[in-house]
Amino acid sequence: MTPDTASDNLPREPPRRIDRAGLAIAAALVVLAAVLVWDASKLPATTMYGMGPEAMPIVIAVGLVILAAGNLIDALRGRLPPRESMDPKPVWLIIGGLALLIGIIGFGGGFILATSALFVTTSAAFGRRAVAADTVIALAITTLIYLAFDKLLTLSLPAGPLERLL
Amino acid sequence: METFAALAHGMAVAMQPMNLLYALIGVFLGTAVGVLPGIGPALTVALLLPVTYKLDPGGSLIMFAGIYYGGMYGGSTTAILINTPGESASMATALEGNKMAKAGRGGPALATSAIGSFVAGTIATIGLAFLAPWLVDFAVRFGPEDYFALMCVAFVTVSATFGDSPVRGLTSLFIGLTLGLVGIDKLTGQARLAFGIPELLDGVEVTTLAVGLFAVGEALYVASRRHHAEEKLEPVRGSLWMTREDWRRSWKPWLRGTLFGFPIGALPAGGAEIPTFLSYSTERRLTKYPKEFGKGAIEGVAGPEAANNASAAGTLVPLLTLGLPTSATAAMMLAGFQQYGLNPGPLLFAERPDLVWGLIASLFIANGMLLVLNLPLVGLWVRLLAIPQAWLYAGILVFATMGTIAAKPSVVELSMLAAFGVMGFLMRRFDFPIAPVVIGLILGPIAESQLRRALAISLGDPMVLLQSPMSATLLGIALIALLAPFVLRGLGRFKANED
Amino acid sequence: MISSHMRLFGAVVALLLGASGPAPAQQLELKLMAPAAPGGGWDQTARSMQQVLVAAGVARSVQVTNVPGAGGSVGIAQFVNGAKGDGNQMMVNGFVMVGALAMNKSPVTLDQVTPIARLTEETQVIVVPASSPIKTAQDLAVALKADIAKVTFAGGSAGGVDHVMAALFAGTVGADAKKINYIPFSGGGESLAAILGGKVTAGISGLSEYEGQIKAGKLRALGVTSAQRLPGVDIPTFKEQGIDLVLANWRSVVAPPGITPEQRKALGDAVEKMVKSDAWKGILKQKGWDDAYLGGDAFADFLNKEIARVTEVLKSVGLVKS
Repeated sequence: MTPDTASDNLPREPPRRIDRAGLAIAAALVVLAAVLVWDASKLPATTMYGMGPEAMPIVIAVGLVILAAGNLIDALRGRLPPRESMDPKPVWLIIGGLALLIGIIGFGGGFILATSALFVTTSAAFGRRAVAADTVIALAITTLIYLAFDKLLTLSLPAGPLERLL
Repeated sequence: METFAALAHGMAVAMQPMNLLYALIGVFLGTAVGVLPGIGPALTVALLLPVTYKLDPGGSLIMFAGIYYGGMYGGSTTAILINTPGESASMATALEGNKMAKAGRGGPALATSAIGSFVAGTIATIGLAFLAPWLVDFAVRFGPEDYFALMCVAFVTVSATFGDSPVRGLTSLFIGLTLGLVGIDKLTGQARLAFGIPELLDGVEVTTLAVGLFAVGEALYVASRRHHAEEKLEPVRGSLWMTREDWRRSWKPWLRGTLFGFPIGALPAGGAEIPTFLSYSTERRLTKYPKEFGKGAIEGVAGPEAANNASAAGTLVPLLTLGLPTSATAAMMLAGFQQYGLNPGPLLFAERPDLVWGLIASLFIANGMLLVLNLPLVGLWVRLLAIPQAWLYAGILVFATMGTIAAKPSVVELSMLAAFGVMGFLMRRFDFPIAPVVIGLILGPIAESQLRRALAISLGDPMVLLQSPMSATLLGIALIALLAPFVLRGLGRFKANED
Repeated sequence: MISSHMRLFGAVVALLLGASGPAPAQQLELKLMAPAAPGGGWDQTARSMQQVLVAAGVARSVQVTNVPGAGGSVGIAQFVNGAKGDGNQMMVNGFVMVGALAMNKSPVTLDQVTPIARLTEETQVIVVPASSPIKTAQDLAVALKADIAKVTFAGGSAGGVDHVMAALFAGTVGADAKKINYIPFSGGGESLAAILGGKVTAGISGLSEYEGQIKAGKLRALGVTSAQRLPGVDIPTFKEQGIDLVLANWRSVVAPPGITPEQRKALGDAVEKMVKSDAWKGILKQKGWDDAYLGGDAFADFLNKEIARVTEVLKSVGLVKS
């Protein structure tokens, strides 16, 4: 399951310099291992026969530390696969859309508004400029979905001002 | 001979026009609801169960079987077309299936999935009819230590999904294992890595992780690369149908998938995920086209799909012979029986043979109906990919979040989905394989709790793992499978160094 | 959160109806929360109630919402905080929630809700494989007292009704409940396989789940937890074997905190009317649930006693810190 990066354009000279992102990944793994150990140490010792709940986290933490070392070596030797340049704007647009969705659901804005917001931002991230048209499409689709869930499956999706009008 | 007569009678009942209609409606409804990610076959059956109340037992069971198989097939359709596995069992399908769809081969992918499901379902249903009493005896003797050993075998095969760097593959796997720790420990009830958030006590939902990593992560990644060259999706390239070549490459994986799926599905704690992974890695090892794996190899769709369907039929073995509901779906099946005051179990075959054989016959019918309904739809489904890219991905994201909102409408769950999406994006960007994360989340907790159960029963004596012949054998297989590639690679490196 | 607008919705409905006091029963517009995913026991109870309440004309509409998570801990938190004072909302719950709340250190407890009624219950059973040398509950008691670690119990989730029952059994027969070797399995199917396969000494579950195996002679039932023998069930109670263990896995329905006595009465009356209807009796029969209706203050008393008993047991086995 390797994503289709530029691996097709190989062979390519591997850059022989320290990879900062690789260092960050190694550091993150160490932090994750520390969290595991800290969490396991807080588990109360309960009477149990055999293995307790703290054993597995420790085993995994040890594995994570070893893997952090492996990633560190790869980073120091600059052995990470080459990366293409990326355009951060659409990524932030979609993440913003997801944040909007979570916020609208959290504050009781309902399913239709929340998913429509996500639809419009994602569509904009992929280069659409017709925000008004997309909004209309999104509202229509999500309203249909809401009705299908509510009426056919009797599964209640989060309701907000729009849903109450239905 | 008795079995044949009973089955023939069941078939005669199920083939009545009215019952065929019920089967068609069931398959249609099941597929329609089953395509929603997060809403797997179990939930589909739960939601649609009331629809069947009004019918007579025979008709109701038939519609039921249709909903069940339809729900399973629906999950694979989204996995292939939009990389959104509807349930954990169709995750393996997404790996190669979606690559095929993107290469304009969605038609053959869907077809091999439908026909493979039919073949596997049919063989497994025959197995159910004839082997059930024998198989269940074996399944019941499978103890916690044996499950743990089976998990070890499964873990070793995970490396097939690692891509080209073992370090990065293992990193992904361990992130999955870490996520698997989140929530209430099954054996002691203690909360791990929940940080006082009640929503985390139930652990990380597999579908939330899979949909986040696969669908949301993919959308972010494609968006970030749009300035390079717009990804052009051609829904159909070459034949819409399976070519002779596709058939030739599919039939063996179908059979092998069935061989994994049916017996493991019959184990009370076997499930559908393990056989699909085992099938995927086996096909990857055996294929004559190793270069195509990771880019859309049809074997990688045919095998897991067959395994998935065969395991579903396998689940019915303990259900019908022992009354053991060993999966969420089987539990819903039980509910279906109970609406007629029936308790499946050792007496059911003797007391109500008509219903048991009726059900088995309706599984055959539902399976066939699935083929009838879905093959003509393949052309329609793949047209979905012709939607303009902006709308396609916007739709995928709405669709992906919808399942989560419907199943668990909480801010925490949605935040996890978004976080996994970002994680999936970063992993793609830094070339970490994604499948091992989900596999770690699924297998880690099972392996841990089975090992701890075995040790609790043996009062802490690890020798229990070697004393059971089944467990010792499986551990041996795992060890060989683990060491073989290292030995081979060591030899290879030795040779390379000599150059 | 989601529930704050539920309250708003309730208020809007009340305004529309022009009713300032408790609405007449026929116009009840109820919201019923199942603190579990669709398909489970609590969800089925809620959806059955929905069906009967509407069919029997007790309520004009009933809407079921699912708030799954951690044995109901997530649901009850939302219910208590979001539905406070709303006389049109109820939540389904049961025995399992008592233990789950204690174990998850939930800030919200069952003391905060307004008890309405107990609805159904299920008798529990202890079984051994047919080939086991243990023949009666007393045999099991002897084995427990001889070496408690070697007697392994298979049952449902840690802290659930099966676990509580294992500890109660050990305690009642004079063994050290703290040391029971209880092995939780996920789902009845998995633990039944472990019992049939002879991997564990005994198994604990709801009676209906193992009834088929018992009748088929594959499992031997040592005793049931009902106070009297159940009609049509040929299994001795623990009580008649000299072991004072009476327990049932019950399901009930509760209302939010802070509702008026009138609202409480209206809801209690509605539930009582539902329980007495033929439609409800039909559902009980169809689903195999035992009627255990207990309304009003009697149920409140019962609930308090169960909370005290379960919390004590869970402390004794070390699942809840005292």
